[in-house]
Amino acid sequence: KTMGISRDRRHKRRATGGRMPIHKGKRKFESGRPASNTKLGAARVRTVRCMGGNTKKRALRLDSGSFALSSEGFCATARITNVVYNAVSNELVRTNTLTKGCIVQIDPSGLKTFFSKKYGLMVKSQELVDTEFKCSAEQKAKHLLARETRVTCPVFEGLFLQNKVFARVSSRPGQTGTCDGYVLEGKELSFYIKKMTERKK
Amino acid sequence: MDNIAQLKSFPRPYRTTLTTKELIKSGAAPARYSKNIGIGFATPDAAKTGTYVDKKCPWTSNVSIRGKILKGIVISTKMTRTIVVRRNYLHFVSKYRRFEKRHSNISVHLSPAMDVTDGDIVTIGECRPLSKTVRFNVIKVQKNHVFGNPRKIFKLF
Repeated sequence: KTMGISRDRRHKRRATGGRMPIHKGKRKFESGRPASNTKLGAARVRTVRCMGGNTKKRALRLDSGSFALSSEGFCATARITNVVYNAVSNELVRTNTLTKGCIVQIDPSGLKTFFSKKYGLMVKSQELVDTEFKCSAEQKAKHLLARETRVTCPVFEGLFLQNKVFARVSSRPGQTGTCDGYVLEGKELSFYIKKMTERKK
Repeated sequence: MDNIAQLKSFPRPYRTTLTTKELIKSGAAPARYSKNIGIGFATPDAAKTGTYVDKKCPWTSNVSIRGKILKGIVISTKMTRTIVVRRNYLHFVSKYRRFEKRHSNISVHLSPAMDVTDGDIVTIGECRPLSKTVRFNVIKVQKNHVFGNPRKIFKLF
């Protein structure tokens, strides 16, 4: 029986460097499947029947995911613009491949709506100004109260005012069929910005 | 402990939120997560107060120590965050009714909280597979207990 990818240990050498005697064939429970190499595009997700009758969703193309801003406790679906950094290889960045742990740039409109609803602030010419939308006096009072306790990471805010929001994918698109993650803030954001600028050079 | 800039991925500590409003405001470091591994082994201070991030450290990650607890002599600390421990034992040869000396080397994960050099006696605890050959984690060190070449010493525990 020819089976392609297998996840056994029998093909590997021992810790001492010696060969392992291959005394049995490949088993079905050790089998693997080709990588999904999820790309950016209109969502295309296939269901795979796995061992034990369980299912996995293999995302072949995705364009949006649920991204959370942890400091605010806010989470919403956002469109993914492009892949910006991947610790594994630059090839994956060039081909816009979505993997767990890759850094993506997301559409900031969801966060902008959140900011205008909670703080009554909107981004205009790289500054946070009062929203142009009509709000009742009650809402305005709530906005002012919320602004007093507003704490936004300065690095994140700086990029947000330039309409740039970066997030890290924390789900596994080839396993769950979704590309969810968290918006980068603080030291982690500074770390990845540095990596992105280094790469550009 | 490498410089963060040399790493390819940001080292995220286990079970700690890095950006809460309080932390952003104060600019302080987040409260460090450390756990007690149980079985009467003390958590080293370096694990509680240090700044390292090690996803295989028994005190600051989700690695649990269960199963065998062994002791051995450290013979090599050249690998990153992992050491080689030598365990000596006697094998009985029934024909001659005598014993022979044997040893086995084990690759053990070493948390940055522990300070270990060649020749130390180390207590290691079994954990889930951490790599191809590593299934143990250093949980206690007795420093400078072995004189001479640790590879030539025969000491039973």
